[in-house]
Amino acid sequence: MPSRFGPAVAALLLLAACGGSSSSGGGLGSGPLLVGVLAPFSGADASFGPRYLAGCYAAALSINGAGGIGGRQVSCQQFDTKGEPADAVPAADAMISGNSNLMGVVGCTSDEASTVVPRLDRSQIPMFCMTGQSEFNKSTAKYFHRLVPADSFDTYAMIGSALYNPSHAPYSRVALVFGDDIGSQTFVGPAVAALNKLGVTIAINQAIHLGASSYRTEVAKMLTTHPDVILTETIGSAGTYMKEVKQQNNGKVIPFIGTSATIDPVWFKQVVDAIGLPDFLANYTAVDLRLSLQGSGYDEFLTQLTAADSKFAGSNALTYKGKSPTVHLYDGIIMTALAMVAANSADRTVYNPKIIDIANGVSGATVVGTFKDGVAALKAGKAIRYVGAAGENNFNQYNNSQQGYNLVTMDKDGNEVVLGQLSEAQTQKIIDAGGGA
Amino acid sequence: MELYVAALGFGLISVSVIAIAAVGFTMQFGITNMINLAYGEVMIVCAYVAFYVNQAGVNVWAAMIAAALAGAVLSFLLNRFLYAPFQRKGTNLIGMVIISLAASLMIANILLPIVGYGTSAYQMDQGQLLRWNGLVLTVAQIAIIVVAALMMLAIHGLLRYTRLGKAMRATAANPTLARNCGIPTQRVIDVVWLITGALCGVAGVVAGMNSENFSVASGAGYLITIIAAAVLGGAGQPYGAMIGALIIGIVTELSAAAIAPEYKEVVAFGILVLVMVLRPQGLLAKRGALAAAG
Repeated sequence: MPSRFGPAVAALLLLAACGGSSSSGGGLGSGPLLVGVLAPFSGADASFGPRYLAGCYAAALSINGAGGIGGRQVSCQQFDTKGEPADAVPAADAMISGNSNLMGVVGCTSDEASTVVPRLDRSQIPMFCMTGQSEFNKSTAKYFHRLVPADSFDTYAMIGSALYNPSHAPYSRVALVFGDDIGSQTFVGPAVAALNKLGVTIAINQAIHLGASSYRTEVAKMLTTHPDVILTETIGSAGTYMKEVKQQNNGKVIPFIGTSATIDPVWFKQVVDAIGLPDFLANYTAVDLRLSLQGSGYDEFLTQLTAADSKFAGSNALTYKGKSPTVHLYDGIIMTALAMVAANSADRTVYNPKIIDIANGVSGATVVGTFKDGVAALKAGKAIRYVGAAGENNFNQYNNSQQGYNLVTMDKDGNEVVLGQLSEAQTQKIIDAGGGA
Repeated sequence: MELYVAALGFGLISVSVIAIAAVGFTMQFGITNMINLAYGEVMIVCAYVAFYVNQAGVNVWAAMIAAALAGAVLSFLLNRFLYAPFQRKGTNLIGMVIISLAASLMIANILLPIVGYGTSAYQMDQGQLLRWNGLVLTVAQIAIIVVAALMMLAIHGLLRYTRLGKAMRATAANPTLARNCGIPTQRVIDVVWLITGALCGVAGVVAGMNSENFSVASGAGYLITIIAAAVLGGAGQPYGAMIGALIIGIVTELSAAAIAPEYKEVVAFGILVLVMVLRPQGLLAKRGALAAAG
């Protein structure tokens, strides 16, 4: 008897350990559910994590306020990747192995996506990643979802801003100043290709080490090339760099165009602290994803983000109200929750394919903007399409969805201000010059 | 050519910041036999102490004194209540390094919810931009160089010309013998932690002033350069740390001018590796200030 009992128990334990799904059968099950926020909360990109966490808190409140997912309450937990692949792997492993109730994961930035996406996909965990790396443009990972475009599109939009922004004459000498890390350098190749083909002079292409204590020599070198605009991201170091530009350039700041990641309260404060608000307002523009930020979906998001404010000790969750990562990941979590309800299953292999159905909708689907409305429609036997806080989503066969770009700046309080949009013809011209996505 | 002269000037500021920090770090090791990996985090705590004092309307140069005091007290407490008990139990050097790494993580994670994820910057006037034969420095940057030079002279004076300095050198050379000769080595070690903690505090503020803004994450970045300077000069040797700081500070800026910024650390650490291959004990290991007191 013991000789047969032992292997049977071992086999059961193995099955339990390797199952990878939060529930093996039909039905939504019971007990709390968890959304893992797998992102940098420390290190040079520490500002990324909180904006994702804000979206998660708001989504959890929205879901729980509507009775949860089949009565199951949702919570959010942060898993710090430190923005380093080497730290991301143990963080992801700990998250996966320690939480069998994971309903999904959000975060996975360019800092760590290459290492964590395959792991999450193998473990069959639906994820919404904030990576712009081109390797995910044609991702075959079934559980991967991306609501942001490839970084190359950010680059094209920045070039569009340099050439077609109605608020200034076209710039002809461009300095590229990006970090020397993988995530930052993904902007550079497409920029060089597009600028060369469009006949714009690249005054200097500078890869700087993010987090360095100063960039004086780099700035001195850049100034000798006399650019009339700087295209940059330099998360964590922009304040230091731009302050040194101002100091060495006789108090004058060169106009600078930021990526969509620079539309961020932490980045805003850092640069304003460094160069002063008047110089910031006079010289900064950026590009950002075209979000609808209106309708019942956005109203619900705003309500729940306000309610989540108290969870942010020493910070203000509302500063993230118009930020695309916060809004997008909120939508991602709501879509995942609705997919679970639609599939009537907590089995990730069952509800994962439903996420795309909920986002893209099917012919005749009822449009819903909140989890509560979605559940009501599903219970009434209707097919639904979720048009959330960011607006419509249209996933392609590679689980990528994007909505185009706005040319923007920030006001004195750090709120985004839309300056204009690139026309389709302008966008296409730059994309063609850059060699596509 | 002008760019290289400018880079040399910028290098002097980097040298100043690294030297203040590296001398404190290397003295901790030389005298107390402790590789304190929490040094960078203590720097950041002190930088924030000065930040809040500065926010209260106090000039940042005066706030530096508060940071020095905070650094002295925090380092003293760190040693008294964390490092020393383990050292008394006979924990080996690797074990102590791990404990200091744990201390570093604890300090960073205690600090994070207090100061937040964002960056902070001092309210300070950088002063006029001065140009001279290619050198481009602000008045505040020149002041940082002067502060560093004065602190290096003070450390030199302390180690060479005071009884305390002789006691430190004796403790560094052979603590048992020093104790048998009547030197109160425990008190000497306490004073070393206070002095090096104060250096750490000042280093945190000048590093924050130098980089215009700082965050909790900055500590780890500072530490790498500090260790490199200390090791290059000869671990435990204050003068060696000064020379190490000089080489690393100047070389990184000149290589950024000559090659490309992404290679400046490669060049600096390449030199470190080369020195370690040719002279594993570092540049000044046998003839440093912490050699046996004469």
